[in-house]
Amino acid sequence: MSETAVAELPFLNLSDPSFSIRSQAVREARDQSWCARTPYGLAVLRYEEVGKLLRDPRLRQGSYAWPAHNQATGRFAEWWLAMLLNRIGEDHARLRRLANPAFSPKLIGALKPKFEALAHELIDGFAKRGTCDFMAEFSEPYATRVICILLELDQSEWRNLADIAGEMGLALGVTYKQDVARVNAATDRLYNYVQRVIAERRKRPPADDFVSLLLQANENKDTLSDQELDDMVVLAVFGGIDTTRNQLGLALGMFIDNPAQWQLLAEQPELARPAVEEVMRTRPTTTWVTRETMEDITVNDLPIKKGTTLHLFAESAGTDPAVFTPGFDISVKRMPHFGFGGGTHHCLGHFIARGDMTEALRILAQRIRNPRYDGAATWLPDSGNTGAVKLPIIFDPEPT
Amino acid sequence: MKICVDLVRCQLHGQCAIAAPKLFSFGEDGKLQWVEQVDESARREAEEAADVCPEQAITIED
Repeated sequence: MSETAVAELPFLNLSDPSFSIRSQAVREARDQSWCARTPYGLAVLRYEEVGKLLRDPRLRQGSYAWPAHNQATGRFAEWWLAMLLNRIGEDHARLRRLANPAFSPKLIGALKPKFEALAHELIDGFAKRGTCDFMAEFSEPYATRVICILLELDQSEWRNLADIAGEMGLALGVTYKQDVARVNAATDRLYNYVQRVIAERRKRPPADDFVSLLLQANENKDTLSDQELDDMVVLAVFGGIDTTRNQLGLALGMFIDNPAQWQLLAEQPELARPAVEEVMRTRPTTTWVTRETMEDITVNDLPIKKGTTLHLFAESAGTDPAVFTPGFDISVKRMPHFGFGGGTHHCLGHFIARGDMTEALRILAQRIRNPRYDGAATWLPDSGNTGAVKLPIIFDPEPT
Repeated sequence: MKICVDLVRCQLHGQCAIAAPKLFSFGEDGKLQWVEQVDESARREAEEAADVCPEQAITIED
């Protein structure tokens, strides 16, 4: 077997703050090879290989190494290492089995009217004005209040929870080192909040919400310890807010850039569900996920040493011309995308996320007609977990 | 009852093997294998596997 030389692979500088997953350099690298060198491990660029490696049992989730790579310490780093995403084997399976029922697709039917009412309430706040900051006035309150609905938290807490999630999210950004104190302080605030909710929920009769389900499991500490209970609720709050917030902003951006598709969605609201998939294929907030090889492996004749980090590029795979016809089209049936990761660590909350984003896009397309950018939007770097910070838009005001 | 898996939809995430390890597993070749005929006592496990499948590829026939 001929061995591919690593030195012949294209190089992508992921450490450059201006690096973009949508850059010409990534497109050219993908044309040249399925894989590129980076300052830290290999980037996997094509659909077939990303799909295979996401599910390969010889690889583990790579994010566990984040605190070590960033010399991170403190409450956030402790939580990060302990939470579901970074557990492996039977330990991970036990926690995942406990969490699954709270994110079941069976819940969507009952939640849908609540999502719909929430979307209308938020749009009522700006529809007649004909302008809004989509992030501040829609996607952030929507994503946060969906989590409040799901966990049966007091919705009036949403501002506080959104701020906490935003500050904890700085941990995964490029400015982490200067934000470390804020990140840890926000994590402390979330633990305090979560512990208050748990104490209060213990006094209520058993119910079938997420926190109550975990409390039942927590009656046997071997099934779910007190610490694991806290960690899990922190994950549900943090993991659900920032991702959906960002993904909805990216969705609107895609539709502003493709106005005929927004018009199509307004005319055919049943396309809202495929619209979520099309947005996540072409513009996922999670631009890549990492894996680490647990043994020496060979992929397409390329030998990869144990302990190598692989960055699996969801966006690059999702727009791979070998699999997808170019363009953004919500009416075309596509292959599954990797916007929710895949394999053992496939996103836990994806049924809820798909359900709430479907309702949001369906109603937005009905009521926000002809949306355009209103001045410059501010975006997070086009790598890691991306999205808009500010997204001022202008549209046809609803008649008063 | 019978457990059916639509192998066109299946993306081999393996969530079924986490939810119901007695019913679903991966073979040496990496292919999904599962117990097709199960009795009533395994219903809950089978339903959980069907429920968690990200591609909703698993169905249960009575």
